Amino acid sequence: MKRSSLLLLSMMLVFTMFLAACSKTEEKTGTETPNTTETPKEEPKKDVSLRVFSTFGGTDAARESFQAAIDGFTSKNPNVKVENDTMSANDDGFRTKVNTDMTSGNEPDILFYFTGADAKGFIDAGKVVPLNEVLDANPDWKAGFAPAALENMTRDDGKIYSIPLTGYYEGLFVNKKIFKDNNLELPTDWDKLTKAVKTLSAKGIIPLAAPFDQSHYLIEYFMLSAAGSKGHNSGLANGIDPNWEKGYAAMKELYDLKAFPKDAATIDLSMASNYYDQGKAAMVIEGSWAIGNWKNKEVVDNTTVMPFPVMPGGLGTGKDVIGGFGSGFYISKATYDNPDKKDAAIELLKSLTSPETIEKIANSNGGTSAAAGVEIKGTTQAATDGFAMVASATSINKPIDNVVTPETFSALRAGVQSIVTGKKQPADVLKEAKATEDAGTK
Amino acid sequence: MKGDRKYILIFLFPMAALMSIFLYYPFFKSLYLSFYRTKGFFDKKFIGWDNYERLVSDKLLGAATLHTLELMLYVLIFQVGISLILATMVDNISKFQRFFRSVFFFPVVISGTAISLLFVLFYNYNFGLLNGILTGLGLEKVLWLSESTALKAIAVPTVWHYVGFYFVLFLTAMSKIPADYYDAGKIEGINGFKKMTKLTIPLILSDIKVVITLAITGTLKVFEFVWVISRAQNNTDVLGTYIYKKALVDQNFGYGSTIAIYMVVLGVILALLANRLLKSDEITY
Repeated sequence: MKRSSLLLLSMMLVFTMFLAACSKTEEKTGTETPNTTETPKEEPKKDVSLRVFSTFGGTDAARESFQAAIDGFTSKNPNVKVENDTMSANDDGFRTKVNTDMTSGNEPDILFYFTGADAKGFIDAGKVVPLNEVLDANPDWKAGFAPAALENMTRDDGKIYSIPLTGYYEGLFVNKKIFKDNNLELPTDWDKLTKAVKTLSAKGIIPLAAPFDQSHYLIEYFMLSAAGSKGHNSGLANGIDPNWEKGYAAMKELYDLKAFPKDAATIDLSMASNYYDQGKAAMVIEGSWAIGNWKNKEVVDNTTVMPFPVMPGGLGTGKDVIGGFGSGFYISKATYDNPDKKDAAIELLKSLTSPETIEKIANSNGGTSAAAGVEIKGTTQAATDGFAMVASATSINKPIDNVVTPETFSALRAGVQSIVTGKKQPADVLKEAKATEDAGTK
Repeated sequence: MKGDRKYILIFLFPMAALMSIFLYYPFFKSLYLSFYRTKGFFDKKFIGWDNYERLVSDKLLGAATLHTLELMLYVLIFQVGISLILATMVDNISKFQRFFRSVFFFPVVISGTAISLLFVLFYNYNFGLLNGILTGLGLEKVLWLSESTALKAIAVPTVWHYVGFYFVLFLTAMSKIPADYYDAGKIEGINGFKKMTKLTIPLILSDIKVVITLAITGTLKVFEFVWVISRAQNNTDVLGTYIYKKALVDQNFGYGSTIAIYMVVLGVILALLANRLLKSDEITY
């Protein structure tokens, strides 16, 4: 009895010590901040702390390069403290995080985020500032960007809110070795693709790793192949493009040929990518960042990338590519209006988008460079093939979720499984999606 | 007596404040939002009862409700049943009681997402553990998460996760039963199984009622098992995943809030129903 109460007492003591220690450090930081604001004129540069929110965290291929870029800046500017706040882009959670931060007055100083429909809300609400003036005031910096990259960042009102870093492309990644071992030609046209699907599925190899739920890339490339660049990019705003039905029908055709993994309905994108990485699947539709994520050297070395072939009756050219510069750095209005932070934030942004940084990050995530004159050679053959594919593309298209509401895109995604299994007709799914789009944009 | 009031208020205040901020405020905010059509985070428009009209005709919501109820059935039978059996067994042994208590309670401590990821690796068709065993035995691979079996497959980790919690509740309840009852029973000559059905279970009925209510409300909240294991595909969409998809993936907070209200109403009805069905007199020892 006595011993246990003694133990309790000592534990409580330890706890209070912890508490005391915690409160002390808090007091310290508490007194530090007013100090710096009280004596601004004596020091040439004030201590500034900036929060940079991006998706360069977790398993992102460019995580280390990005952290190195920030470290490079802080070592040159010791007065600036940068908090590298990250969240994985794998799920939709980080969209929610960005939007809640934006609405609740907790904006990051610098935000790396999408530029399409996702950004419309907080741009219209004036939470971020147009950066045209800043770019014009720093001509050297502005000249460092490839014109196409800046053009991609320009919104309908002619303003640039975001500064590009690297671009991306999506493509059909093909394991050349599996094709060669099975005496197959690379799937450059529809017949070769269907032949490959038949041969591979008969041998127990997954022809095309794709999830039905996270079917973003699947939908984008099938619609692009079926409806061509124009039909793909017009979304659903001006009625349903009948060619989209062909895209869905082609999915069903491939499904009936057993093109997709048997568990395609329940796997997620990373599992599909994993099947490819493990050499269990011969093809996968992925983004350029996937190259940096794959661990299996044998697979990566044997990988090439090509646009998705045109299906019979499709309007695509066979060289249409999904890609572009889909994200960039924003500066929040609160930071821009804060004279203490403004210059530091701009300097940091300049450093994060310098040609050297862009080159390093593009090399790690396999993306295209937003800097003028910086040719990314590609650290692997697959990356080199990817850049060649983009260079010879007849059109570079933004993904469909840029042109429809999130809810419509969910309806399109949900349609995939019900169409391939024959529960719904493509026309019905598109009609439902159109109704959702109309309700959402009313 | 009068002086006590001050203290009562002081001590109640923190909890009342927490409840209002984290429970009542969000609830009323959801009620408010359920009358709006939201476009992302920045734009909303009053649309009256439109969201509720959509709720009534939403086939996916109906399916999600049915899947939730099916999962609830599994949970009620297996979670409550297994924990009851385990508790009776452990209550009857004198050695290693603590050991079993910790072992059975252990899964409760693990996060649901971690368990789900574990089961993803069990069920995976191409290189999952279960199919690995089957191919090792020379048998055909099985698609564990097919349209007809996926929900049952998800029920397994769901049940397993919380068995330990109810087990501890039952065990505590059983330890409160005075030994005289058992002594009397022994003299009367009941043992083993009869002892469990005639003595133990009737005496802890009020605790069973609590557990059933907890299990019902707990199943309404199931999310991570379904989301991680099957991505809510193949007839496994439950209310938790459906509301997530509507509110956060589709960013339609208005309709998401409407579903939240629906879930609250459904939860209250089910809990009341369970209470009514299990109505019995309180037992005091």
